[in-house]
Amino acid sequence: MEVLQILISGVSQGCVYGLIAMGFVLIYKATEMVNFAQGELMMLGAYLAYTFINVLGMSYIPGFIATVISMAIIGVVIERGVLRPMIGEPPFAVLMITIGLGFILRAVAGAIWGTETKTLSNPFTGSVARISDLSVGYENLAIIVGTLTLCVTFYLFFRFTRLGIAMQAASQNQLAAYYVGIPVKRIYSLVWALSASLAAVAGVLVAPVSLLEPVMGFIGIKAFCAAIVGGFGSLPGAILGGLIVGVAEQFANLYLPPGIAATTAYVMLLVMLLVRPQGLFASIQQKKV
Amino acid sequence: MRFILKTHYQQDIDVFKHNGQRFWFGLLALLVIVAPLFIDTFYLGELSLVYIYAIAGIGLMLLVGHTGLVSLGHAAFLAIGAYAHAWFIGKGWPLPLSILLAGLLSAAAGAMVGRPTLRMTGIYLAIATLAFAHIVEQIIAHWEPVTGGFRGQLVPDAVFMGFDLSRGIPFYYLCLFVVVLCLLAALNLLRSPTGRSMVAIRDSEISAQSMGIDLARTKTIAFAVSAGFTGVAGALFAHKLGYLAPDAFTMLTSIQLLLMVVVGGLGSMHGVFYGAIFIVVLPQFIAIMRDTLPTAIGQLPGLEPGLFGLILVLFLIFEPLGIYGRWLKVKQFFDEFPLYRKATHKRQKSYLRTERLR
Amino acid sequence: MSALLSAKNLSLSFGGVHAVRDISFDVEQGEVFSIIGPNGAGKTSIFNLISRLYNADSGDIVFAGESIISQPAHRIASLGIARTFQNTELFEHETVLNNMLIGRHVHRCSNLFSELLFLHSVRKQELEFRRIVEDVIDLLDLQSHRNQVIGSLPYGVRKMVEVARALCIQPKLLLLDEPSSGLNPEETEDVSFWIEDISRDYGATIIMVEHDMNLVSRSSDRVLAIADGAFVALGTPSEIQNHPDVQRAYLGD
Repeated sequence: MEVLQILISGVSQGCVYGLIAMGFVLIYKATEMVNFAQGELMMLGAYLAYTFINVLGMSYIPGFIATVISMAIIGVVIERGVLRPMIGEPPFAVLMITIGLGFILRAVAGAIWGTETKTLSNPFTGSVARISDLSVGYENLAIIVGTLTLCVTFYLFFRFTRLGIAMQAASQNQLAAYYVGIPVKRIYSLVWALSASLAAVAGVLVAPVSLLEPVMGFIGIKAFCAAIVGGFGSLPGAILGGLIVGVAEQFANLYLPPGIAATTAYVMLLVMLLVRPQGLFASIQQKKV
Repeated sequence: MRFILKTHYQQDIDVFKHNGQRFWFGLLALLVIVAPLFIDTFYLGELSLVYIYAIAGIGLMLLVGHTGLVSLGHAAFLAIGAYAHAWFIGKGWPLPLSILLAGLLSAAAGAMVGRPTLRMTGIYLAIATLAFAHIVEQIIAHWEPVTGGFRGQLVPDAVFMGFDLSRGIPFYYLCLFVVVLCLLAALNLLRSPTGRSMVAIRDSEISAQSMGIDLARTKTIAFAVSAGFTGVAGALFAHKLGYLAPDAFTMLTSIQLLLMVVVGGLGSMHGVFYGAIFIVVLPQFIAIMRDTLPTAIGQLPGLEPGLFGLILVLFLIFEPLGIYGRWLKVKQFFDEFPLYRKATHKRQKSYLRTERLR
Repeated sequence: MSALLSAKNLSLSFGGVHAVRDISFDVEQGEVFSIIGPNGAGKTSIFNLISRLYNADSGDIVFAGESIISQPAHRIASLGIARTFQNTELFEHETVLNNMLIGRHVHRCSNLFSELLFLHSVRKQELEFRRIVEDVIDLLDLQSHRNQVIGSLPYGVRKMVEVARALCIQPKLLLLDEPSSGLNPEETEDVSFWIEDISRDYGATIIMVEHDMNLVSRSSDRVLAIADGAFVALGTPSEIQNHPDVQRAYLGD
């Protein structure tokens, strides 16, 4: 029973990784940029939710929606201001710029909300669902259900909508996509909006199980490991990688000494890179000459 | 403007291309040698720190600027160098040997990380090095008998032939000596086949392969050499710190090192030194600002990393070639004075084409 | 005399697309051998198979009596096979001279430690490299571009630099992937001259993929025509030009 209990908390942790990893993958798939600030976007989302709900006194659902919308706007602003000038620059420069962005966001959050930890009030904390002997916190259930919903939505979006397909086209060849009439720049803004609101959802969902602090974005690094374990560039891979890493971490916490347990995600990443560098769901291949 | 009449292939190979360079670099050498005579101890220490960062920067520049591989975990190599050096010197091994071994150990670790990640593009390598750095951080924190764990450990003094080189003016000369040595080694490498093959890999892997360059081997070498230099820097850094604890080698340190090469100017050894000066001066500058600015802004937590991030972003957007690139442009402006056209360095619009087949 | 390079029953497919189907040909020592065919016929794929950038599904490639089908890509150059690329793959941020020096990479004898110290032997080797590079520069008239960075050069010159870089390997076999694409008629005419020079002065065997039939018939000894990855015809340029199957492949039925 204990194993099952750990499994469930692992799955819920894994869903958080998966959600952030999806943000990475989304931006990568559409713009072939790697956004290292995804974790910081999540942190920002959580703080915005805190502002709307705790400070301005909105109730949970409207606060949630307001957070998602404002994060979408922030996503567009970041894309316009920082990433737009970088279109066509080498991937390394883009990577570096998002790292820099992460530092800035962390400093900004620290300046606005302070470095002491905060708690987001929410309808879940304290309620526990009991399924025979298992007890699952509502906040964990919310994470799992939220992730599932988002997964299905994104799958349908990329599979069936014009916009989703246009996004995929833009990522393959900017110039060609432009020639066939896809507004590449607008697509990029949209992708960032989408990815930032995804981060907002992750932030709001994760806030009840973790505390709000400017460094909570560091979870993004582990989510990145998850994205690679799953196969970078694949949305199902992101979720699956997140789950694997999340579950493995919970078990490591139980059975391994603390120092080693803390490195679980990284060790898994390195092992994966050694054994199957393309990840579980391969989608990246070699350049053509 | 200077035109050089080349009469022998040697002129292309030599480190100094003409007498003007010889004169200016000679003057610079003289200046840094006599510097202890008229600089007070604090600034001498800062200057030593510039040299130490420059050594690590040389290593990172070879990797990032010349081979085009990104490492987000160079702090780990700095740490390996520092702890190894502290251990060797604690065992009473002679100073030069200890520094060398610290470098070699670091290089071995670099080869170990580089090797399995070779088939990957930049992002994968970047994240793999980041993961490696985290693991190293944990090992340092938990391997108490050797590293002192979280509590940290004192670094034994660097005594060589009866002289204590671990602080003040002797330490300054030690750093100066090592940085010059490292710079020469790096320049030598860059004018040799291995250095050229590194650059070739940066610009086109496919064609590098077709020119007979073994990608895996060259990348491993690049990684090892880079980690080696950084390890040597770590050894000196240990003395500079005096006390080793895990929190001296975090991701922020890695990013700081990257910031150094980006701000200095990727792909040039000049850039390393500009970058090193920059990251040593910046914290001082921030410290001064803290006092003069209103408390609300001056006392902000995380001001320093935030500024680091901001500067990184600004440089990448407005001057991706770094300080050295800017200097070259200014120089060209005066060289061609009335004829300089504004559009000379306008960046061409380029479009991204995927390297993915599907 | 046995063939310098022979391809035996080469096949390659990507997913469901058969890029190369059961292609066999022999290239004799010293000849200029052209491969022609409509777009997408699999010409460049054959090159990529020879330079080992692609793994063949089946078949064998024998070069100078030795099978190279399982050699790693970076060994191909040291065996004496050099190539150019359709859209040029030069080292953009380096000078012409440095690009060409890379061509000498396979001939280096120095190791990492001698290079870090820049021992006398390394210096001597560098001088030797430069001598050979200068010969190639003279052959292809690149003197005025020697110290220019590739990024600042016009396309025609880049194509020349790529050929020059390949020549610095001093290859036995030179693979030219569309040497005239993107060049104006005058430059294309030059191509036929330097192909002649290369095969005479360097004794290199040349295989080229080319669209310009004028250039092909002027320079080549034999021509292989392929379409849809499959063999169509092999013969002298005039035989190929008048071959009914070739005409059908280009013009359709």
